Amino acid sequence: MSEPVQLRHPDVLTPLGQQTLRRLIRVWFDFERRLSRVPIINRLDVGSFTIEDYRNLLLNLRPQVIEGGRWISRCASSFDREHADVRSVVISHAKDEHRDYEVLDKDYVAAGGKLDAIQRQPRNSGTEALHAFLMYRASQPNPSDLMGAMWIIEGLGEKMANDWADRIDELTNGSGSYTRFMRYHGDNDNAHMDKLYGLIDRICTDDKVADDIVRTARVVSRLYAMQLEEIDHADE
Amino acid sequence: MSVFITSTGAFLPGPPVANDEMEALLGYIDGKKSRLKNRILKSNGIKTRHYAIDKDHNTTHSNADMGVEAAKQCIQRASLPMNKIGMLSCATTQGDMVIPGFGSMVQAGLGIPGVELHTSHGICSSSAMAIKSAVNNLRVGDQQSALVVTSELASRLFKHTRYEAAGGFDAIDFNAEFLRWMLSDGAGAMLLETQARGRCLRVDWVRSFSHADAYPVCMGIGSPSDKTDTRTWQDYSTYAEAEAAGALLIRQDVRLLENIVKLGVDGALRLIEEGVLDVDKIDHLLCHYSSHHFKGKIYEMLKMAGAVVPEEKWYSNLYTRGNTGCASIVIMLDEFLQEGRAQPGDTILLMIPESGRFNNAYVHLTMVEH
Repeated sequence: MSEPVQLRHPDVLTPLGQQTLRRLIRVWFDFERRLSRVPIINRLDVGSFTIEDYRNLLLNLRPQVIEGGRWISRCASSFDREHADVRSVVISHAKDEHRDYEVLDKDYVAAGGKLDAIQRQPRNSGTEALHAFLMYRASQPNPSDLMGAMWIIEGLGEKMANDWADRIDELTNGSGSYTRFMRYHGDNDNAHMDKLYGLIDRICTDDKVADDIVRTARVVSRLYAMQLEEIDHADE
Repeated sequence: MSVFITSTGAFLPGPPVANDEMEALLGYIDGKKSRLKNRILKSNGIKTRHYAIDKDHNTTHSNADMGVEAAKQCIQRASLPMNKIGMLSCATTQGDMVIPGFGSMVQAGLGIPGVELHTSHGICSSSAMAIKSAVNNLRVGDQQSALVVTSELASRLFKHTRYEAAGGFDAIDFNAEFLRWMLSDGAGAMLLETQARGRCLRVDWVRSFSHADAYPVCMGIGSPSDKTDTRTWQDYSTYAEAEAAGALLIRQDVRLLENIVKLGVDGALRLIEEGVLDVDKIDHLLCHYSSHHFKGKIYEMLKMAGAVVPEEKWYSNLYTRGNTGCASIVIMLDEFLQEGRAQPGDTILLMIPESGRFNNAYVHLTMVEH
């Protein structure tokens, strides 16, 4: 039996923090349903996913992973002195992830891909939109709403580790040797999610911030799904 | 117009069957002991269940017979004679006959003349659909009473001969064997009336959310063992061919099944956001979780969402009555009421997460005294 995404309950939540968390959970569930409708993820669910699918998935994830370090770093630098504590959490997050793509590259080669191909891979249309949105939000003063982005992206990291990695190895007769990025990313993300929970009360100080966080989570979930949909549109 | 559950009834066939008795009764596939049974039973937490087949695999009660027995008990406890019932609303996963509808067979067994008939088809949540059809029928004023009958006879699917016909011990994977250690037989019934009588339950609302658009089939009968073969059972030249291909086995995709937790919670959160559900005001939660494994997971996720009903308010008889599919929630409500656990003014939430292709149903009740 595969384990579902492990959601843990934070210790303290204000009523607004709790309500925001509840809304974020709804956005996450909606995102998961949206993912299940994406052709390449549907193939993972029904069991027709191939090693070519996996290489394509890595090819299309890489540009976003490599850009991830940039928007998180910019997000950190956009927090002012009143938010120094938030900035610290975001900086440590950026530091943990900014070289994740190196593991991804190695997985791609181990799965039979050429290093040169993945390094030259351009952003697909969904990645363009996702990256542009994240960089735009990260450039705003005190971009607390990006907690919603982290909620989706870190949640997906957990899903990759707890669900996708084993399923990919099962369907492609892998031994785990080329699913290290997904597994390792998930391990790290568990700790990140805990830190995110810790930030909810800190950031959710009024209804507007709460609404902004939920809206950004929703936008990022749509654009992330689009990035994965584009995998099957690449040749069109 | 308000609608009230004025009576309930249940029927469980034969004596309780303990965990160490069930494989001898269902039969050893190719004479070999299951390697998965203990693991699955440990996870689902079920200790006893009932079967409507005997050790020689004769059917002791048909599915319709069980529905009729539950309905008779329900009507015996009510103040309305059987021949005054306006509507008969039935649910089952698989009737004794492929056609006509299950409701026709139950009506014949009960001998109710000229009744308005409904049969809902599905798996666990089909009972909620049958309840909703009946409630709405009463609400619009077409009828003043409706008898809801839910019944399941799953054990016929679990005879060792079924698996042997589909390739035998070595051909049966986890997903094909899983439900053999989960499902069992039984029936439940409830009487709905527009008139409150004594201590009864007002039906506040019945709601459901289906997610078949987003997920593949998670529990089903009709697809062959070979996942790349898109045919379903009637596409084969003969039923014997379909059986040999495994298309008549009941399967659960255990990987997809984990989604049931999130989708069950998702529905509750939708109802909270709509303002129709206030978990702080729920006095009793009767949740048809198929397995103890999921109880903890649903509880933890509701807790995280700040939408938890405290554990002491949860009630289930899964562990002693087994998982009887669509009948479970009605058998559960019946035992809950017979034990006198609710007082006038108490609110009761029934929650039915179905994994077939993910339909989640919720029923909100309030006990009233007339």
